[in-house]
This record gives sequence, structure tokens and C-alpha cells, in this order.
Amino acid sequence: MLRKKNICWIVATSWIATATLWLSSPCSVIATQPEKTADRAADSFEQIDFFEKHVRPLLVNRCQKCHGPEKQWATLRLDSREGLLVGGESGPSIVPGRPEESEILRRIRHSDDEIRMPPPDHGEPLGADQIELLSHWIASGATWPTNAAPVVDHSVAQRNHWAFQPLKGVREFPGEGTSPISSAIDTMVFERLSSRSLEGSNRADNRTLFRRASYDLTGLPPTAGEVDSFCRDESPVAYEQLVDRLLASKAYGEQWGRHWLDVARYSDTKGYVYGREEKTFVHASLYRDWVIDSFNSNMPFDRFVLLQLAADQLVEANAPDLAAMGFLTTGRRFLGVTPDIMDDRIDVVARGLMGLTIACARCHDHKYDPIPTDDYYSLYGVFRNCTERLMPFERRAGIAAPTAEFLTELDNRQKLLRETSNVLRKETSDRNRARIADYLDAQRHLEKYPELGFDQILAKTDLLPAVVRLWQAYLSTDQARTDPIFSVWVSMAELSDEELRQTSGRVIQQLQERGTPVHPQILSACAEPFSSARDIADRYAKVFLDIDASWKTVGLDAEKQNLPAPLSLADPDHESLRQVLYGPRSPFFIPDEPIANIESLFDSDSLTAIWKLQNEVDRWLISQPESAPHALILTDRPYPVDSQIFRRGNPANKGRVVPRQFPGLLSSANRLPFENGSGRLELARGIVSPDNPLTARVWVNRVWMHHFGRGLVETPSDFGLRADPPSHPELLDWLASHLIADGWNTKNLHRGIMLSKTYQQASGGFVESDRLVAAINIDPNNRLLWRMNTRRLNFEQYRDTLISLAGQLDTSMGGRAVEMFPLGVTSMRRSIYGMVDRQFIPSVMRMFDFANPDLHIPKRSETTVPQQALFSLNHPFVAARSRAAAARLSAPTAETSSGTRVAELFKIILQRDPTALESTSAIAFLLSSETSAIDLKASAQSLAWSYGTCEVDEASGKSKGFVPLPYHTGTAWQGGGQWPDSVLGWAQITATGGHAGNDLAHAAVRRWTAYTRDTVKLSSEAIHDVDQGDGIRCFIISSRHGILKSATLKNSKQLMEIDSIVVEPGDTIDFVVDYNANLNNDQFLWSPLIKGTQAIAAGSSRDSAVDLWNAQVDFTGPLHIYLSPEEQLAQLLLLSNEVMFID
Amino acid sequence: MIHQQQPLPNLKTLCDSGQLLSRRDLLGRCGIGLGMLGLADVLHDSGELVSAASIDSGFDPLLVRAPHFAPKAKRVIHFFLNGGPSHVDTFDPKPMLTQYAGKPAPLSFTTERKTGEPFPSPFTFRKYGESGIEVSDLFARTAAHVDRMAVIRSMYAQVPNHEPSLMLMNCGDSVQPRPSVGSWVLYGLGTENQNLPGFVAMCPGGYPIKDTENWQAGFLPGALQGTFIDSQHTAIDRLIENIRSPHATSDMQRRQLDLLQSLNASHRSARIDNRLDARIHSFEMAFRMQMEATEAFDVSRETKQTLELYGSGVHAKQTLIARRLVERGVRYVQLWHGAGQPWDNHEQIETNLKKLAGELDQPIAALLSDLAQRGMLDDTLVIWGGEFGRTPTVELGGDGKAKAGRDHNHYGFTVWMAGGGIRGGTIHGATDDFGFKAVENPTSVHDLHATILHLMGFNHERLTYRYAGRDFRLTDVHGRVMHDIIA
Repeated sequence: MLRKKNICWIVATSWIATATLWLSSPCSVIATQPEKTADRAADSFEQIDFFEKHVRPLLVNRCQKCHGPEKQWATLRLDSREGLLVGGESGPSIVPGRPEESEILRRIRHSDDEIRMPPPDHGEPLGADQIELLSHWIASGATWPTNAAPVVDHSVAQRNHWAFQPLKGVREFPGEGTSPISSAIDTMVFERLSSRSLEGSNRADNRTLFRRASYDLTGLPPTAGEVDSFCRDESPVAYEQLVDRLLASKAYGEQWGRHWLDVARYSDTKGYVYGREEKTFVHASLYRDWVIDSFNSNMPFDRFVLLQLAADQLVEANAPDLAAMGFLTTGRRFLGVTPDIMDDRIDVVARGLMGLTIACARCHDHKYDPIPTDDYYSLYGVFRNCTERLMPFERRAGIAAPTAEFLTELDNRQKLLRETSNVLRKETSDRNRARIADYLDAQRHLEKYPELGFDQILAKTDLLPAVVRLWQAYLSTDQARTDPIFSVWVSMAELSDEELRQTSGRVIQQLQERGTPVHPQILSACAEPFSSARDIADRYAKVFLDIDASWKTVGLDAEKQNLPAPLSLADPDHESLRQVLYGPRSPFFIPDEPIANIESLFDSDSLTAIWKLQNEVDRWLISQPESAPHALILTDRPYPVDSQIFRRGNPANKGRVVPRQFPGLLSSANRLPFENGSGRLELARGIVSPDNPLTARVWVNRVWMHHFGRGLVETPSDFGLRADPPSHPELLDWLASHLIADGWNTKNLHRGIMLSKTYQQASGGFVESDRLVAAINIDPNNRLLWRMNTRRLNFEQYRDTLISLAGQLDTSMGGRAVEMFPLGVTSMRRSIYGMVDRQFIPSVMRMFDFANPDLHIPKRSETTVPQQALFSLNHPFVAARSRAAAARLSAPTAETSSGTRVAELFKIILQRDPTALESTSAIAFLLSSETSAIDLKASAQSLAWSYGTCEVDEASGKSKGFVPLPYHTGTAWQGGGQWPDSVLGWAQITATGGHAGNDLAHAAVRRWTAYTRDTVKLSSEAIHDVDQGDGIRCFIISSRHGILKSATLKNSKQLMEIDSIVVEPGDTIDFVVDYNANLNNDQFLWSPLIKGTQAIAAGSSRDSAVDLWNAQVDFTGPLHIYLSPEEQLAQLLLLSNEVMFID
Repeated sequence: MIHQQQPLPNLKTLCDSGQLLSRRDLLGRCGIGLGMLGLADVLHDSGELVSAASIDSGFDPLLVRAPHFAPKAKRVIHFFLNGGPSHVDTFDPKPMLTQYAGKPAPLSFTTERKTGEPFPSPFTFRKYGESGIEVSDLFARTAAHVDRMAVIRSMYAQVPNHEPSLMLMNCGDSVQPRPSVGSWVLYGLGTENQNLPGFVAMCPGGYPIKDTENWQAGFLPGALQGTFIDSQHTAIDRLIENIRSPHATSDMQRRQLDLLQSLNASHRSARIDNRLDARIHSFEMAFRMQMEATEAFDVSRETKQTLELYGSGVHAKQTLIARRLVERGVRYVQLWHGAGQPWDNHEQIETNLKKLAGELDQPIAALLSDLAQRGMLDDTLVIWGGEFGRTPTVELGGDGKAKAGRDHNHYGFTVWMAGGGIRGGTIHGATDDFGFKAVENPTSVHDLHATILHLMGFNHERLTYRYAGRDFRLTDVHGRVMHDIIA
């Protein structure tokens, strides 16, 4: 005993010296109580954690290759606690609690190479820290969790967890309501409330209900007029009619389409791509429009899902429904790394449609839900066996056909892509085939060939790592072991050169004796013993190269005799060899797929060449997405293969093969693998099968969430064991069953929900404070729905509301994405049509919790930060909406008072009258506010000038398309912070000159606007002072009189003077410069003077001395033009909580 | 009269007095929302069960929160040398390269491009400080502070490509969209100055490679993402979005806000929702932010002496701004070298590195002195590094000729940290004799992240966020704290 203690002490001391990870408690465990810890009943979380983190990886990596499931040297297995306890030929490997008596430690620590484990040819001895970890583990009782995951038993979870159970039968609710759904909701909600001594709140007032219904179904505010007439309508069916009208509006599809786009992690762009690739999707906006249309046409939800997963197999080859597959293909591209693209698809399908977090099983069995990692790779197999295709489809009615020129050009670009791609595919395959010896030899040096995701620049002379890996996969299948061609190779694969020399003859003999046939050509090539591994590769290669030569001869012969190209070799033995080189399953075969799917099979130069042509096609299509609509679909590959699991999610660490099949927890005991193609359609049908309890529950819950602010289940995309159970389980099941029975009719579901009393409750709860306090005490979070929840507008609703209240909403639908907050002209279209570039989400959108398009977002965050307020206070977009809202006020008359102005503005923005107090406050605000709308620092002359781009229309003599340059650097007006700007190019105006734009439509223009009637004299000198390029063209153009003067300059100057011209208020005089023939050195100096000769103060209060405008002196940055008091009032009303929140 | 607040409702009074405590109130008081489950311990202590709900309480994710244990560092300034600075030319001397110059290297690794023979550093290394750590002349001024630094010479990443390595270094995962280190820190700690962004990423001239992904919030709330500032600008409204109104004076805004808040207060009185209060509050904060941010970014308020200490140029300016920001409570500042990837030196190492290091050396040294002098270095963590290092061998062009530059190298590279809890004058780990690969104490990026979080007061395994059915953390399932570099 003494001796033992002594050793323990030494162990503990050395451990202190080396280990750095755990300091206090494990140490005392080792030193004082080695025996007691043998009791496993008390396996703590820390112990399990320690085992999983330090011990299991050690055993797996360093021991189990020889002592595990595959090999059991010395009859020892080290892959279970029992295996260690029973031990092998040397007796038990461990004695729990007694590291010093454990054989495993003795062997690991031994200094004799003959005895030490792992043996010298299996790598370095274990490090001191590793030994101590193992020793600590044994000392503390050798904890080995019976189940790696902390869940009890998957089958129990599968049997008991509410979400995985079949839908309960539908209870009948006759009720007096107009919809059976409403009756069911009210009965079940109010039953639960009364069981908790609660009752529902009163019906909300009409204005509130209108606003609530309008936002829920359209995402837009109602107008004051609509609200008024609804409030006056005493018909009992007025509300029902309102709901029906809103459901029928086109805006419904936009509102609910956007909800779906969150689920579908929608983006118009691919995310970060290498420079060679176009970053914008060709098809995304068409998918978005399909989603909107599908909601508006009330497509049954099961059909909606089926089409998004497998439209390619359900509709005609050119049907618009193909666009549905954007659901799978608008995810981030992850720089082309296949496992991540697959993961994204698995996740969006599993969580988005079924509320299953299957993606958790990518690296290990799901820790809580009955989802083994096999199920993940079953789905991986489905998506891995699909390739992308860009498919044209019929354009919408009313969209103009593309021009013949467009189609010809498209055809040319596609043809060039196809031809180049075919040539490079063939060249690359041929080059690879010629180097078969090298590819075979590379199998012995796999560490030199990194997996996907490790991008190397590859020359044509390099072996392609992806092809090396394809060979690896090809040679490691089960069939390869018995394959007549490769059985010899596989048998020899791990032998050293020395072993080869001694045993090669015997191996072949054994193969034949075992009944594994050897291909005759291979057999004869292997007649002599091998001298080295390279020798095997060379002899195999010779067999194949001979076959290749004869195949080429056959082809040439046929060509000479004008016969059709042969399809195979006549001799079946030869043909089987040829298949290895040319067959569709050959590792040398490069399938005819889009470059995105086969990138790794090319050298860098070929890859760039193909991408360049692909981009030419993509950009052409992006220029007219609607007239030549294309869908990016998935289509099944011709030879589906099952996937291997990736151990710990690592593609380099492949495990067993799993069949493509439906997740086990939703399958019966006799689950069968998918049979057709990739199995994608079967997967889709399984998802929408009435027997699948999840899909309908998940969809009903999403709809409910958007009506009530929170779901019956609070985690809308996780219905697993870690999710809270539904607040109203019976109701959830009822609604789900009814949805299925009702033909998956989503609009009926909305209608039923909205006609319920539950939905129509006031959000403020009860007026009587004792009732209110009682209710809050019982159910503070309103899970039982004794009132409606208040909701806050999301980013898009907020933006759309501002535009809408300003009376500026552009309700046109569909088409290319527009910039939401561009410099210059702002689009007034609904936010769903705003560009979602997942690489550059404008920070205002992020600040307002816009759904991150990189991830499936079941529910948006809802944060409140000052940056949101800064946007509302200071962004020009909001100021412009405030101005426009105030401009909606009717023209003042003699009777107009501040009070009527205030009342009218309240109507416009809040759709109600102000209270007396509000009215008084607002009037006081108007009267006390500053009236000066202009920054007094700016000179009056500065106001006359503006700076922009336009085009000189020489035919009409006018300048057209004036657009202000949006950005001021401090010294220059230009397109943006970068010069040249990506849109407006080089166009620039400075105090003294500027630069012409990139094309004739973007000539640089300095514009002077007259504010009174006058006769003015213009004097100026235009200068182009460089010799490079071909010079510039200068024009002086009057809006009233056309082109007054023009000149072409190249390294020269020209006086540009007009003695006298009459201007009326509002007339403009433009000083325009564009390039002469080419864009090259088109900077200029030109800074005119304008002198008024007979200024007439036509109703103007301005100083009549203001009669000289000097472009150089007057040049300014943005003028601070302040909001008027009414505009300020409009702005603050737009910012109010009453606008932002829905009762 | 206009400015008078409406009386608050009974209900809220009840809640405030503690008689009534809804979960939402409770969470609001703790300054966190329902989604912030990683910090749920506080709530468990109070007996409140937290369900797997998402953030829905209108909370402010930036409010100050306490970490797991007493932090050594309260704020971070991270010099990000984007492109991959060469370790063998800066902080990891390799005399062996001279011995092997012109001879075939006895070992080599696959990187993105092909490389040739060992390429000795054209720069001289000298010993500095009491620790005698060797640093090249490129960072001679910075090296004067070497006794404040822990130089980690055994970093390794996963692949030799910029994009995945930037993501790994900044967000802990090469490919999947995950929150950045700064976002995690902000999520854990909040920020001490509500009138400034809590996490700032400055880069002169535009975005680095991978753009805003480098400071993304991932699945965390959007407010936790880094605020990008193009530090080449000088005007405040070019530096911070919407910080000034082009259409109202401050007086006008004050009057607007007064009326707005009185309307909001009366609106609030009949409603049960704390989000209404949060939004009312945020407008007041925004109003103050307009003043404070302007002041914080204005380096002209520094003394002549300080300005001279930092030197001239955009790096001096952004480094000085960083100091002003952390001084005012900003939690995390990342200083990028410039748009694209300036430190991606495939060619002409000698001239390129001289120029780049010349831009940084003085500001870094100045910052360390300045922080120390102000007593802030003790709890400010300064980090220096890129996304990987470079090959000790010379890069070959397509023609097979040497280009006097180095290719990417993720097998071994250097990062150093100073200040906030760092044991100065320490070297952690080593690369092989050539500087190819980390061989002694190999340190993963996850280990670096675990250590940063540890210094900020977090057990990196417990700083988690529930998303998509599982608890995510910055270090995924990896990460070991480097205790030997902690004071």
C-alpha cells in the first residue's frame, strides 16, 4: 500500500509538471482516492467531457487501427470499456483507478521499441502529456459513457416526442363562426384560458383591426380614407369582407413572399466569389417573383414545396414553375466547396420545411434528436447526385419578347461556352489518361494532394488533386476488391516494396484460388514479380495505354472508312479496360455539367477560360432576366452513387456508405432506400406526405407566428427535443390536420385565423387594472393569448410604410432587383424588390435586423439600437419622405389654421385625428419652430447651380436625362467615394472644371437655373490641356433655346461666350462636356461667369444686387436645406412608436 | 407643457416596484434578451427558466454585461495585417535560410503556388529588451516594447488561401457564416459607451478581401456586427453613417424629439410592451451619439506631443482614433492595413515590406507607449497578425523563375499579443528550423480565440448562442487557452 501511494505521488507530481489543462480538482482525485473512483455510477459531466475530449480521440487515432473493429492484434480491442477491461493476450489493459497497474500505460511508456505501443512503424511514441491524460483517465475511474450523446435513447425520443407523433384526429367544431378554423381556434384558446381562470380581451377597435389586418396581409398601412369608411361601415360582414379584400390584393404575395424568402435564405448574389466568377445569380429574382405569384394564386402548400424541391420532374421542360427550384439554388456558394453547398441545402430543406435540425448531424449523431449522422449523409447522397442546370422557360404574359439581336448574341455566347468547354474537357481528360501511371502512383502519396477547399494554382503539367481523389474513391469501393482489373492493385496497395518483391506472385495465386478472377491482360502484365510500387503503377498503365492506343486506332479506321464512330471495343476484355479510361464512371470522365459543379477537374488556366465564357452568358441573361427567363434547377445525375459518411464532418475521413433514404425518425421500421435517380422527388413526396406530421405543423406554426408575433411553438424551425412544447398542442394538431384536409389551402388558414375572436382581441388587455394585473400574474408572457401581442414593423415594412405614407409607393411588381438606398434617385418600389447582395448588406438593413441571407432565418432578431434612430433622424431617405408627406397637405386657403394642418397631417400619417393635447402640442411646435429652411451660410448664388450628368441630344438640341451627381468629396461632385464610380464612371465637376463621363449618356454638366426673368450674358473659356486622347466636346445648352454654342477641344482652348440671352424663372443653362470619340484623358477646365443685365425682382425678395454668378466662387458641397416646420412635424410623426408598432 | 411626460401606467409602476416581474422585465433588467442563452447563468440563478425562444424583447444587445470571471482585458485593439505578413521577415528569425540559400530545401509543403529554394530574409534581426526576443529591423520601434509582448511563433491555419483563412482568423470557421470575434466579445460583454459603436473595423481606402464578412454578426443580432469605417476620410459624416443631419440643426432635432417623446409617452400609457420604452430611449441615445462620436473621431484635439508620437499618415491617424475610441469605452477595434490585401507579398519582399512596416511600426509603438502612459495597457489587449504567414522559400513565377517574394503559408506563422493580461517577453511555440511549419506547441486559431476570450473573462466553452437547434461558440469544438502567455 505504501508503495502504491508512493507511485501515485510520483504520477501526480509529473502530471503537475507537464499538464496545463486542469489544475486543482483532478489532481486531488489522483493523489488521494484512486480506489473509490472505480465506481462508475457517478460519472459526472466533467468526466464524460474529459473522456470525449482527450481520451477517445487518442484511442481512435493511435490505437484502434490495430485494436479496433477492423483488426484485433493480440486479440485486443480498445474501442469499448469492456474491451480494455477484458484485454488481450497480455491480460487486461486497464485497472480502473490504478494507472500504475494498467498494462496499457506500461506498454505506452516502455522504452523498448519491441514492447512499446504504438510500435515504431506506426508513428511517434505518445507524448508525455498524452500519457498523463490517459493515466488521469484511468486513475479517475476510466469513465466511458455508454452513449456518446447525452440523449437517453433515440427510439424512446422517436416514440414519445410530441412533434414526431402522428397528427391527432380532427375534433369537430360546428360553432357559429364563418369558418370552422375560427371556431376551432376560439374554442381551444378560450378553453385553455378559462382552465387558468383567465378570459379573453375585448375586440380591438375598428381602426386598430384594420391596421392589424392590413399589415398582416399586405405589410402596408391603410389610407385614412379606407380606415374612415371601414369605421363607418356597420355591416356585420364588413370585417370579413376586409379580410377577403386584403387576401385578394397583390400586396399579399409580396408580404408573405418575403416571409418565405427569410426561410429560403434568399439573396440576389452568390456571396464572395473569386474574381473569375460573376457574383450575381441569373435566376434569383425570377425565383422571388415565383414565390410572390404562388402566394397570390394560393398555390396549395404541398405543391409549393414539391415544386421547390423537384419541379424538374413535375413540370414541362420550359414551364415557369421551374423557377421554384431557386429555393435550393440561391444559397451561398461557399467558394464552390461542395460539402458546404450540400449542407446549406440539407439545412434549408430540413429546418425550413420540417423543423428538423438535421444539419446538427453533419459531424456526429444529433445530441438530442433521433437523427443519426447516417440520416444526414442519406440526404447528402440525394443532393450530391444532382447537378445544376440553367434552363430557359416561358416568359410571363405581357413581357415583351427578346429582340432577335438579343437571341443571336445569347446563342453565340452559349455556343462559344459549350464548344470551349467541350474542347477543354476532352483535352484535360486526354492529358489525364496519358498520365495514368502517375495517378496510380499518387495513391501512395495522398498526403501531397489536398482535399477540396485547398485551392492551389494548378498548371497543365500538374496532377489534379481532385482526380487523384477520384481515383482514391474508385479504388476504395467494395467492388474494387473483387474487380478483375483492380483486385491485384487493391491487394498490393499497402505492401512495402520489399514485401512486394517477395509476395506478389503469391498474392495473385491467392486471388485466383479465392475465386476472385483476374483480368487476363492484368494477369499477363503481372506475370513477373513486382520490383516496387511504382512498377505496379507502370505495368497497369501500360495495359491501359495499349488499350487506349487500340481504341484510337479503331476510331481512326472508322473515320477513314466514313463509318460512324465506334461506341465500344468488340472484345469484352478490352472493352472493360476501355471503360476504366472512358466510361461514365471513370475517374477521368469530366461530366458535361456547369463549370460551377466541375471546377476542381481543371487546371487553373482552363478553369479561368471556361468561367470567363460562362460569365459572358450570365451577364447577358442578367441584363434581361424577364424577357429571357432562366431557372437554375437541379437535375439528377445519370449514375447515382450513395455517399459515405464523413467522420466528424471531415471529408478526408470517410466512413461507411449510407443509402439515400428518408430520415429514420419519420419512417416506418421497414424503410426502403430511394429508387428513382437521386431520390430527390421521393424525398419531396415524403416531406409533403399526409403521414409526415412535421411539414403541416411547421407551416401552420409559421403562419400563426406572423399573425400573432410568436408561434404556438416558439422555435419555428426546431421542433426537436430541445424546443419548448407548443402552447396549444391540440390546436396546432387541429390546424395542421385541417390544412391537409383542406388541400393545404393557406389563404383559408389566414382567413380562419383572422376571423377568430382570438385574433381580433385588443392588445392592451383589460381596461380594469385589477383584471390586468391578475392576468399578467398568471400569464405574464401571454402564451395563452388573453390579448393580442403588439408587433413591431420589420425593416421592409418600415421602409415601405415610410414610402407609402409619403404617397410615393411604386406598386409595380416583379423584375430585376433595385438598389434600395442608392445615391441619387431612390427607387420607390417595395422593399422585397430591393437588391439583397449577401456580400454587401447595407448596414442600415443589418441594423434593422434584416434576415441574414447566409442562413435560414426562422424568426428575425428584434433589437433596438441608437443606429436605427440615427437613420430615422438623419438619413436623406427619411427626410425626403417627410417632405413628401408634408407635401400631401392640401393647399392652404384663407380658412386654414395651424390646427387644420396638424389634423390633416395626423390623418395622413396616423390615419386618425389628433387628441386635443396632441393638437395643442403640435401647433405649438409649428409656431415655435425655425422657419428658415435654408442654410444661411450658403450664398444665394450657390443655389442657382447644380451638378450632374446628362446626354446631349443633338437632334433636338436639348440636354436630356439630367441626374444630379450624388457625391461630394469636399472639392468635387462625382458618382461616389471611389473615382471612377462603378455606375457614373469618371463624370465629375469641380469648382474650375471636371471630367467627362464614361459614355455619351453621362456627359458632365454644370447647370445654372434662373430664378427671375432676366437677360444674361455668359462668358467663359473652356480648356482641354493634355495631348493624350482625342479631346472633348463642349456645349452650352439652354432649356429654352437649345444648343447655344459648341466646340471640340484637344489640347486647346476656346472662348465660349454669349452676349445676351433671355431667361424665364426655372429656365436652365447647361455647360456640358462629353468625350469626343473615346474615353481617354477627358478632363477639362471650364468655369463660366453669368451676368444678369436687367434683373427684375419678379416677386422675389432677393437683393437685386445679386446679378453675378461665378461658377468657381459659387461652387459648394451639399447645401443644408432644412426641413420646414411642417416637414419636421411630418418626420417626427413618421418616427413615432405609433407608426412603428402595430397593436 | 409639451415637454411634460405623461404619467406612466399602473402596470409599469407595478413592474418597476418589483411587485410584478414579467420575464421580459427581468431580462430587460439583466440587459439581455431571450436569445442570449449563453449568458443564461444569471437567469438560472434568479430561478428563471429560459426557453429556446429567439430574441424578441426589443432589448439592447449592447448594454454592459459581466463575463464569467474577472477579466484581464476589457477591450481589444487588433492590428490586422491583411494579406498574410511574413513571419520569417518580422518576428520569427531563421538563420538556417541563409545556410540553405541557393540549395534545395530539405523539406517543403504544398501551398497555393510553387516555390523554390530557401529565401533568407533581407532584414536584420536583433535582440530587444530584457527578454532578448529577436525582431527584425522592420519593426524596430515596436520591438522596443517586446517585453510587453507574447510572441506566438507556432500559429497554424487550415488552407493556404486568403478567403478561408480570413474567415477562420476573424470568425472561427473557414467556410460557414459565423459571428466574428468582435461580435462574440460584444455579445458577451456589451459595450461601455452607448453613444459609440461597440465594435469598429477601420480600413483605409475600402474593404479588405471578404469585405464585411470579416466583422459579421452571423446569426447573432445585426447590432453586434462591426461598424466599418473607411479611415482615409477626415469628415465625421464620411466616417460614421447618419451621424449628422443634412436637413436639421441640433436645436431643431431637440425640439422634434421633445414632441416625439411626448407623443410616444402618451402612446405608451395604454400599452403593455417594453419595446416601446426601448425605442423611446434609443432616440435619446442617438441624439447624444451625434455629439460624442464627432468628438471621439477628432484627433485634432490631441496634444502636439501625442500627434508627433504617432507620426503622420493614415495609419497614425487610425491608430490614434482607436486609442480615443477604447478610451471612451468602445470594446473592440480592428485596424486593417488597407483595401484588398497589402501584405500579400508574392514579389519583391524587400521593398514591399519596408514600405508596409514603415507605415505601421511607429503607430504601433506609439500606441503601446501611449496606452501604458495612460495606465490603459494593463487592461487593453493589443493583437498583431494576419490570416497566415508566408513560405520561407522563394515563390516561383509561371516561368519557374524566382520572384523575390513568398507564397502563402498556413502551416506556421506568428501572431503577437501585448497588454491586457499578457505575460510580456514570452515566446510561445516555434516553427521548424526553416519557418515552414509549427512544430513546438502548435497553436490553432481556435487556441488563439480561446485565449482572447479567456483574457476577456470568458470560458470559451460556455460563451454560447443557441441557433438552429444547437449551442454555437466561437471555438466550435476546439480551443485550448495558452496559459503560459498569461500573466
